[in-house]
Amino acid sequence: MFKLNLKIAWRNLWKNKGYTFINILGLSIGMASCILIFIFIRYQLSFDENFKNENRIYRVISGWTTPDNFFESAGTPRPLPAAMRNDFKQQFDKVAAIQASGGIIKVKDESGKERIKTSESVHYAEPDFFEILSFKWLDGNPRQSLSQPNTVVLSDEMADKLFGDWHKAVGKSVNFQNKVDLKVTGIIEKTPDNSSFPLKVIISYKTYLNQARPESTNWGTVSSTSECYVLLKEGASIEDASKSLPQFITKYYKRDNVSKESHRFQQLRDIHYNADLGNFANKVMPKKELYGLAIIGAFLLLTACINFINLATAQAVSRGKEVGVRKVMGSLRRQLIVQFLTETLTITVISLLVGCVLTEVALPGMQSLFKDHISFSIIEHPIIFVFMVILVLLVSFLAGFYPAMVMSGYSPALAIKNKITANAAGLSLRKILVVVQFAITIILIIGTLVVLRQMSYMREKPLGFIPTAVALVDVPSDSMAITRYHTLQDQINKIPGVLSTSYCSAAPSSDSNNESNFRYNGTVKSTFQANTKTGDENYFKTFGLEIIAGKGLSKSDTIKDIVVNETMLKKLNVVNYNDAIGKSIRINDKTGYIIGVVKDFNNMSLHEPISPIVINSDKESYTTIAVKLDSKSILPAMQAIEKIWNTVLPEYVYGSTFMDDKISEYYQTEKIMGALFKVFAGVIIFISFIGLFGLISFVATQRTREVAIRKVLGASTLELVKMLNGSFLLMVFVANLVAWPLAYLFVAKWLATFTYRIDLNIWPFVFAMIISMVITLITVSIRSYKAAVTNTIDALKYE
Amino acid sequence: MIQLNNIEKYYANKGIKNYVLRLVTTTIKQGEFVSIMGPSGAGKSTLLNIIGMLEEPTYGSYEFLGEDVTSLNERKRIELYRNHIGFVFQAYHLIDEMTVYENIEAPLLYKKVGSSERASRIADLLDRFNIVAKKDLFPNQLSGGQQQLVGIARALAAQPSIILADEPTGNLQSAQAEEIMTLFKKLNQEDGITIIQVTHSEKNAQYGNRILHIADGVVKEDVAILS
Repeated sequence: MFKLNLKIAWRNLWKNKGYTFINILGLSIGMASCILIFIFIRYQLSFDENFKNENRIYRVISGWTTPDNFFESAGTPRPLPAAMRNDFKQQFDKVAAIQASGGIIKVKDESGKERIKTSESVHYAEPDFFEILSFKWLDGNPRQSLSQPNTVVLSDEMADKLFGDWHKAVGKSVNFQNKVDLKVTGIIEKTPDNSSFPLKVIISYKTYLNQARPESTNWGTVSSTSECYVLLKEGASIEDASKSLPQFITKYYKRDNVSKESHRFQQLRDIHYNADLGNFANKVMPKKELYGLAIIGAFLLLTACINFINLATAQAVSRGKEVGVRKVMGSLRRQLIVQFLTETLTITVISLLVGCVLTEVALPGMQSLFKDHISFSIIEHPIIFVFMVILVLLVSFLAGFYPAMVMSGYSPALAIKNKITANAAGLSLRKILVVVQFAITIILIIGTLVVLRQMSYMREKPLGFIPTAVALVDVPSDSMAITRYHTLQDQINKIPGVLSTSYCSAAPSSDSNNESNFRYNGTVKSTFQANTKTGDENYFKTFGLEIIAGKGLSKSDTIKDIVVNETMLKKLNVVNYNDAIGKSIRINDKTGYIIGVVKDFNNMSLHEPISPIVINSDKESYTTIAVKLDSKSILPAMQAIEKIWNTVLPEYVYGSTFMDDKISEYYQTEKIMGALFKVFAGVIIFISFIGLFGLISFVATQRTREVAIRKVLGASTLELVKMLNGSFLLMVFVANLVAWPLAYLFVAKWLATFTYRIDLNIWPFVFAMIISMVITLITVSIRSYKAAVTNTIDALKYE
Repeated sequence: MIQLNNIEKYYANKGIKNYVLRLVTTTIKQGEFVSIMGPSGAGKSTLLNIIGMLEEPTYGSYEFLGEDVTSLNERKRIELYRNHIGFVFQAYHLIDEMTVYENIEAPLLYKKVGSSERASRIADLLDRFNIVAKKDLFPNQLSGGQQQLVGIARALAAQPSIILADEPTGNLQSAQAEEIMTLFKKLNQEDGITIIQVTHSEKNAQYGNRILHIADGVVKEDVAILS
């Protein structure tokens, strides 16, 4: 029976090739999009899975409440892990510190010659860290390998890179930062791409403590690079542990600070999704965006299903006779439903196969967009296969059930006499579905237009400084390197094409920001923190910053002169900027005097408002030399800079970026959003309009007789096309009215995440309306024109 | 009024010409009531369709009101439909979604007749055919004869000079058929409207004043009826 159904299904699909093609095209594109979205979401949700005890692992988060602000960091004060281990014995099995850092690793061969010099990110970790998070150890174990100072554990990939073969690595030694020799004591398996812990070089935490940094005992300094992980005791609850935190905070923190400290525990599985806190891997994907994608996927599928339902119910009439005959022959309604569902299933399975091909084709584009390796391997991830099966069943049911009910419900007597007509109820359902479909399409068009406009606004907005053709070249900041700063700058300045250079801690806009309390004009501590930047006397010239009162920094190696920005003075209630000149600012336990005011510039992404900023000189804090280049000679100049850099600082590893690239990195998420919106809006428009074409084809066929009668009554082609198009244009117009308020809610909410944003005006809405109406008009007219010029006589022959 | 010269119509099928009409030459004058008769498949309907410009002859020339319309562009043809030709079909071909009133109004809308003029003409037709009470009904609520009356009213609405009727009574009972034929005769005699009908029935043909007998695509006989 099933085989026969399948055969008949196949013949029917073949008979209506046009509709079948439209159905398969729409469904396969919709399904391909869904599969892409699914494998992406699956990949994102797979982050940090498969750790033992994952439900008991937490990261300690630090928070500060200031009078006008609250912010959090994934970092903790460096003495915190030890204190917590001591004070939370009841609640926690393990507490471990891990410190992210980076440096130059050198490997010498037997003869003592330097064989490899490479700059790598490293992590200092306590042995307990590996008992909290279960990594796979290929050689050694955390207890032994990381309990002594000057020991290092490598990932197998890193060990292969440094020693050729990781099996030979253990026992050998590497040099780190030209300072210490580290003995390789263990090998762990390379962490997968979907991990928030990209550990490659793990140095024992005792090595870090041995370097005797002052901040390692300071409760007042927090860097987001020093994290602390805890393993909750079995049976203990994190709420209980949290209750002990206030006591812990009072015990260790000094009470006189302006901001109030707090801590909380973040679940391991939240780390990948929390964009505010970040992680070592710098890969975050807010759950919100995953939900957004899932909704788009559902919309796509819905649109494709609506196409199917519309076409199927429209065609249903022509199957009336078959239904009648079958019923007369004794078919049960149930059997007819099964038969029609078989047809839908056939189409869906074909669509899935086509969809898989499309997925495979689109995958490289998706991978380059997300810069991640996303797998579409059913063998690796059987869940994808399960998803596809569910998808097929869901689509078959969603799309096939209603038409099957309609068709199987025909009364045999009427059906045989061909007295079945598309009833009014069916038509109005179709109309509602078309309106829903187009409302979705129009919302996406509006969304796309707004996202694209905001993107171009961000690209074009003047930031208050000139980011073009500025290279940011890393410089080491140890005392040995500092002595060569002068030479390096002098030589770079001589390169043709270099316009100006400046040592600084960070570019005007940077994702590395330091906030400090300060005293202005000898008064008590400020109620807000200032963003501090350091740079030499050429900082303003190199970045094109504008001084609007006083003058810029003069040559100095330590804090002496201070330049503040407008926001700083506004927050201090200084109206006349010249009043501030000469006033003192005490910051980081050093005092300087304001000599100039710089015009406000955006110091972070446009999501954030401008911070109050203090700029001064401090040779020891420089990490970068910014080089303003003549845009015509960037390439040769960069090569020359690298050459000079390597001659002046041969012990170190050269690294550079461009200011423009840094800034566009801020908007990576928006760029991805924009690209996704463009693609999916395109797909949904396409699906909707082929559906529309199918529907108008059907309507035109059904009204052939009417068209013919009207023709002999003297209707012109234009009048007929107008008549056929009218209801479609009306439907799309209604869809516009439905879509506008919804789209407004969505885009207004999205824009609210930007401090600097475009004004939302009527144009994207009007434009979406024009686009949708024009495309509808074209789609529908193509078909209705054809209907209007067909041969009249064929339609008027006797039945 | 209508001049057909050597009209031929054939369908080529695998190189073989299947003739439907062969060398039909005839003239129909203003005010005539012509019946085209013949066995099934003789080419009656095709001839009527050619006269109604619904089909084009393969060969031959056709003059309508002194103008060669053998291959007429669409705009001119629509112009003729709007002003000179009314069609009546065996299957009535009313528009199902429109009421009686709206069906009759349709050709006037295409002819761009003003609204008050439209209303008076439709009222006149409804009155004349005794279907005033039915004006708000839909076609499927009427009997066949009534539907055909509406069909004729619709054909007359645009005040054509010629009515082309393809077996107008083919679907009707004899009483209703008689009524329709009497109406045609009246229209022909009182209003001077030229009528060309295709019919199987010798009886119906007697209402007219001329009969064209067609067999195998050829005009066999052209008989005038003296009443």
